Amino acid sequence: DDGEMVIKFSHVTNTDKHPKGIAASLFMERVNAEMDGKVCVEVYPNSTLYNDDQVLEAMLQGDVQMAAPSLSKFETFTKIYRIFDLPFMFKNMDAVEEFQQSEVGQDMKEAMVRRGLLGLGFWHNGLKQFSANKPLVAPTDAAGLKFRVQPSDVLVAQMEALDASPQPMSFSEVYGALQTGVVDGQENTWSNIYGQKFFEVQDGITETNHGLLDYMVVTSVDWWEGLDADIREQLSTIMSEVTTERNAAIAEVDMENRQAVLDAGGVIRELDAEQRQAWVDVMKPVWAQFEGDVGADNIAAAQEINAKH
Amino acid sequence: MEVILLFVMVLGLLLIGVPIAVSLGLSSMIFLLAFSDTSLASVAQSLYQAMAGHYTLLAIPFFILASSFMSTGGVATRIVRFSIACVGHMHGGLAIAGVFACMIFAALSGSSPATVVAIGTIVIAAMKKVGYSKDFAAGVICNAGTLGILIPPSIVMVVYASATDVSVGRMFLAGVIPGLLAGTMLMLAIYIIARIKKLPKGEWAGWGEIWNSFKDAFWGLMLIVIIMVGIYGIPGITGAIFTPTEAAAVASVYAFFVASFIYRDMGPLRNSDERISLLRKPQAVVTAFFHKDTRATLFDAGKLTIMLMFIIANALILKHVLTDEQIPQQIANAMLSAGFGKIMFLVMVNVILLIGGQFMEPSGLIVIVAPLVFPIAIELGVDPIHLGIIMVVNMEIGMITPPVGLNLFVTSGVAGMPMMAVVRAAAPFLAILFVFLILITYVPIISTYLPTSLMGPEIITN
Amino acid sequence: MSLPDDSQGTALGRFFDSVEENLIAAILGVMTLITFANVVLRYVFNESLIWGLEVVLILFAWLVMLGISYGFKKTTHLGVDAVTNLLPSRGQRVAALLSAAACFAYAALLMKGAWDYWAPFAALQPTEGRWFPLGFTENTRDRAFYMTDQVPMLGILRWLEDAINYGDSYDKLPRVVPYFIIPFGSALILLRVVQASIRIIKGEQASLIVSHEAEEDVERVAAQNAQEE
Ligand code: NA
Ligand code: NA
Repeated sequence: DDGEMVIKFSHVTNTDKHPKGIAASLFMERVNAEMDGKVCVEVYPNSTLYNDDQVLEAMLQGDVQMAAPSLSKFETFTKIYRIFDLPFMFKNMDAVEEFQQSEVGQDMKEAMVRRGLLGLGFWHNGLKQFSANKPLVAPTDAAGLKFRVQPSDVLVAQMEALDASPQPMSFSEVYGALQTGVVDGQENTWSNIYGQKFFEVQDGITETNHGLLDYMVVTSVDWWEGLDADIREQLSTIMSEVTTERNAAIAEVDMENRQAVLDAGGVIRELDAEQRQAWVDVMKPVWAQFEGDVGADNIAAAQEINAKH
Repeated sequence: MEVILLFVMVLGLLLIGVPIAVSLGLSSMIFLLAFSDTSLASVAQSLYQAMAGHYTLLAIPFFILASSFMSTGGVATRIVRFSIACVGHMHGGLAIAGVFACMIFAALSGSSPATVVAIGTIVIAAMKKVGYSKDFAAGVICNAGTLGILIPPSIVMVVYASATDVSVGRMFLAGVIPGLLAGTMLMLAIYIIARIKKLPKGEWAGWGEIWNSFKDAFWGLMLIVIIMVGIYGIPGITGAIFTPTEAAAVASVYAFFVASFIYRDMGPLRNSDERISLLRKPQAVVTAFFHKDTRATLFDAGKLTIMLMFIIANALILKHVLTDEQIPQQIANAMLSAGFGKIMFLVMVNVILLIGGQFMEPSGLIVIVAPLVFPIAIELGVDPIHLGIIMVVNMEIGMITPPVGLNLFVTSGVAGMPMMAVVRAAAPFLAILFVFLILITYVPIISTYLPTSLMGPEIITN
Repeated sequence: MSLPDDSQGTALGRFFDSVEENLIAAILGVMTLITFANVVLRYVFNESLIWGLEVVLILFAWLVMLGISYGFKKTTHLGVDAVTNLLPSRGQRVAALLSAAACFAYAALLMKGAWDYWAPFAALQPTEGRWFPLGFTENTRDRAFYMTDQVPMLGILRWLEDAINYGDSYDKLPRVVPYFIIPFGSALILLRVVQASIRIIKGEQASLIVSHEAEEDVERVAAQNAQEE
């Protein structure tokens, strides 16, 4: 409407099924209802406006105000978030949540301020599982296979630790590539595995819970600081309430998607403690490579929280 | 309302002879500056990202390059010889062979004008020699050449897939049956006309000639096998080897290899009409990469890529502006609330594309129209692959109708006839394409059967 | 420094033509080879050049951004001449002049956008103003830290670290390098559009467009046909 300040929120998923899309839609509804006449949020889903790579540049340029890329997209801004990509860093989503809510985690939202970005909240997607076109039980099963990974140093190192071959590939091509066998496997969360129907074209999914896929809602520092204090306050409150609400629901969403995979005939392989430990033993050494980037004290803090869960 | 202004501006600029790309880009920039608060920097970003951010579109330069090596490398001539050996003896044989050759070349090349140039150059002259009228020859080739974008690989399909995020592999498969069907319809029509008008028939040269010409064309025909096996694999033997984009790059390297070292119609092993053995000139293994023929082919393909991508990139800028103003949603809502059913919607899409096709280059048109109609199609339960094939067939028709018809221009040049004469010559066959369009629109299974049975139903994840 | 126009025949003009033509050919050739190499590496050796895809996409952008200006120089961009062909010659000239003006506006706006986009990556200041550059802004946060995803840093570009990145080392190629083509390509487009417009004003050239993509091939064929008949 006229006279309202427009906030463009650009993301890359659907609006009603993907955890990020749902959260963005909820944020839009609440702001548009509660701040009617002052602020209007417009959501641009499905990469229609920008993809994850371009959106941060556009944000610094002032062409878009909010986005929620996955944490590995911030690599060039600060390497500290690599802690979230490191394999087996967090025991479960409760540990992730507690870490992000801790002082260490909250400080991380401001890690990019000098580069011009401010974190408004962490949004969960969930823990990642491996899938491939042959059964994966022991980590040696992954050796020699080609896995599509996001182009991040940590994820590349993780696949190399498994003796697997990391392959860069745009997300929209993954289904076709798995189906036809151009690549053998991939890693993703339950909601992506179900949403993108990867289970249809894989032998099965191994429930490794080995990594984390989370997002950070970001905004431009310059834009944010130019807002009236009361508007900023109100946006902050709504954002944090939406974040709490959707993050609390993530375990349920994850389980729904996991069940949906089973219902649709997908095969899920669970690992017993010993089998899982074998994966940990192979992949955990990757931590040492990136300890300098993420800080030994941060790793220690995460492990302390793990111990409680 | 402002949107209408935008489209009027595009059209106005087009008609006074501003390059298509500039018409799209300038209108978008003016609109953006006047009606939104997005910066000019975002236009520069969109332009660069049109290439750097669209993995799928990368198939375009590679398919163009493969096609260039195929044409310069003498593959077209061999395909024509093989086609004549197969069907040349029938009534209207040479014309039917021309269509057949266009179909084969279409399976190597992603573009329709390229198909007309490659095949038309040889066939039209040959047809005139044995007594066909120039008009008839031009009409046949002008139409058959449009199969270049329907039979995979296809640049227009790549653009559609990129604009809507459907799988290129699926689109390619979907084009196979419609492509064969359209080709068959054309050949049948020619046969009937030939019987009525008593058109010349060629000599049956025997199975020996079929075999010999096949052997001669074999290395070119192998490219079809390489592309198909590479993209889809052979069940039980190998999985796929590459993505459709990579397939195009592999095809280019293969075509270069065949042209330079097997056919030796270009490169260091060709000495006017003589073919030099690689054994006598082993350094050719290296020099072929830098030979002036190779460079010229690369340059030609590069130039064509630039021409197309300049338009596509600016169409993407326009698309960005439309998205920025949330126009697709408004149009979708308007159409959905108007209560259109599936059929009415598809008819509207056909009308929009047929009109648009009169003024725009196909890839640019698809970049703009596909995102506008795609969400509505999904909402109405239209299969995205089916929609894609409908769009491609519309683009085929656009190519042979005035005022802007790429195939018309090319045919008029290749045949050395005035544009209007080509338009008249193409008209009877245009009727066949119209019947074909109706068939494709109402019978989705023609398009969806192959991809669905080989790759399962299309998933819509957005 | 003054760049030459393409007045056919001058040695310098031919030199620039051949530089551009060889660049276009070379970029496309390298793109093809890298992509091909990655297929072979993956299928045969189970390896990959992790930077391969990104580099090819960058080269794709370079190919086109460099080539657009060449297209203006050689008048190879596609347009619609169906309507202008119906006009009397005076009308055609007016249309050509208007069309040149539109191309100039496009190139000038693009140039401003290109600079504004690129400058922060090079630790430079973008311009003020919405339509026209009205001087440079101050205190725009620079984006010189911004690196590509996977392209390795080149040793010969290490000087950039001191020049624009406060001495911080780059572990990947900074985006300022691939993005350089944006202002550079735009500047070339502007130059070629101005030169083409001058030719149109002088009456040395009739329009800025060709009507279809295979015009040159067709001319070649037509020439052959003429010889045979
Ligand atoms: Na084709
Ligand atoms: Na047309």
